[in-house]
Amino acid sequence: MDSLNKLWLSTGLANFELGQVIMMLVGCGLLYLAIARNFEPLLLLPMGFGAILTNIPVAGFSEAGGFLSYVYHGGIETGIFPLIIFMGVGAMTDFGALIANPKTLLLGAAAQTGIFATLFGAIALNAIPGIEFTLKDASAIAIIGGADGPTAIFLATKLAPELLGAIAVAAYSYMALVPIIQPPIMRALTTLDERKIEMAQLRPVTKVEKVIFPLGVLLMTIFFLPAATPLVGMFCLGNLMRESGVVDRLSSTAQNELINITTILLGLGVGSKLSAEAFLNVETLGILGLGAVAFSIGTASGVLMAKLMNKFSDVPINPLIGAAGVSAVPMAARVANKVGLEANPHNFLLMHAMGPNVAGVLGSAVAAGILLALVG
Amino acid sequence: MNNMEQQFLEAGTLMLAGMVFVFTFLTLLIIFINTVLAKLAVKFPDPVPSIRKRSNKKNNKAVSGDISPAIVAAISGAVTRYRQQHSQQPSSSQEAKK
Repeated sequence: MDSLNKLWLSTGLANFELGQVIMMLVGCGLLYLAIARNFEPLLLLPMGFGAILTNIPVAGFSEAGGFLSYVYHGGIETGIFPLIIFMGVGAMTDFGALIANPKTLLLGAAAQTGIFATLFGAIALNAIPGIEFTLKDASAIAIIGGADGPTAIFLATKLAPELLGAIAVAAYSYMALVPIIQPPIMRALTTLDERKIEMAQLRPVTKVEKVIFPLGVLLMTIFFLPAATPLVGMFCLGNLMRESGVVDRLSSTAQNELINITTILLGLGVGSKLSAEAFLNVETLGILGLGAVAFSIGTASGVLMAKLMNKFSDVPINPLIGAAGVSAVPMAARVANKVGLEANPHNFLLMHAMGPNVAGVLGSAVAAGILLALVG
Repeated sequence: MNNMEQQFLEAGTLMLAGMVFVFTFLTLLIIFINTVLAKLAVKFPDPVPSIRKRSNKKNNKAVSGDISPAIVAAISGAVTRYRQQHSQQPSSSQEAKK
């Protein structure tokens, strides 16, 4: 009888708590979004599964000595995984469109307004009982507006590790929702004539320019914002491996096997932070709300900046490409292209939107560096 | 409440400093691209056009007659033989006509 009782106590059924069940359902929700709706499946699938694993009673996945605790402490807390992912993204990024039309860097800069404006929202939420965000928390939440998953995770682990789960879920959910969130804002802020604007063809970019570009970016970051060098440095390393053309094997590994392995572990590690006590509270709702606000402000400021540039520029600039300034490569650029095609079936904006899109990656990394330097 | 005001003030400062810095940094990057990279692009153009030139040169040389003597000999031999045959055929036909 005693052993039967012992056996019963070792089952999950005897040990389940309500919070764990709810978080497992949240994990299942993430799996649903990934599998059925195809929302950022590469990260939401392992993250959703990680959320299920970490909430299994008795198994102790996230307790000291558990598999997920090693993954989290070894790869995420140390900042290694987001940086490896950033290197892979660098190896996948072609800066050609940006070098051909460098003015689009201003669009990437304008879209970062979403990050800094959200700081106010996060602090204003402190008026609600049960929510208490410090400036560090507010900064970590605000980076969701940069629409860059690895940057958001990197900054959250440095500034507010206890909010990592909610921030990562919000960041990747909104990145997946770019095609739904952005178009109404883009249409509301532009006229049909503006959306019809066709842009001049980009000039060809030489190999030397592409090789020197990441080195120049790194040099400037070293001089002006060393706090951003972990992110920018790894990004530039990946890009240099791609553009130099002498280490194709390394470049291929960085943008395929290495980033894939790291994505699995990163997803599981972030999922391990989706425990009931860390996620089921009013603050998570606040973070999800603020993420949407950050994203919308970023999109709007990018479009408005592009409108302004179009007024003063000699060559026409379609304001829609400003929306691509919020990183989320290449989804935001595709959305700009799609909305442009709706207005004018001969208007192909994809390459033009890639400029502000990759500028957004640099802009959000720089913004993260500023927040780290001033708040961290 | 005072604490919140203080935090808003800090956030405002952070936003101002942050946006000014992001714009300055990326503007410097624009200057870098427009000066350094543009000069490098002019000085070191991609080798693709020169490869085309080389292939054109090869073609030109081939046209201008820079072919191995053996090939020249073979072709001229074939041409001579053809001419001989060609010159014989009309004569034979002329004979037939006669």
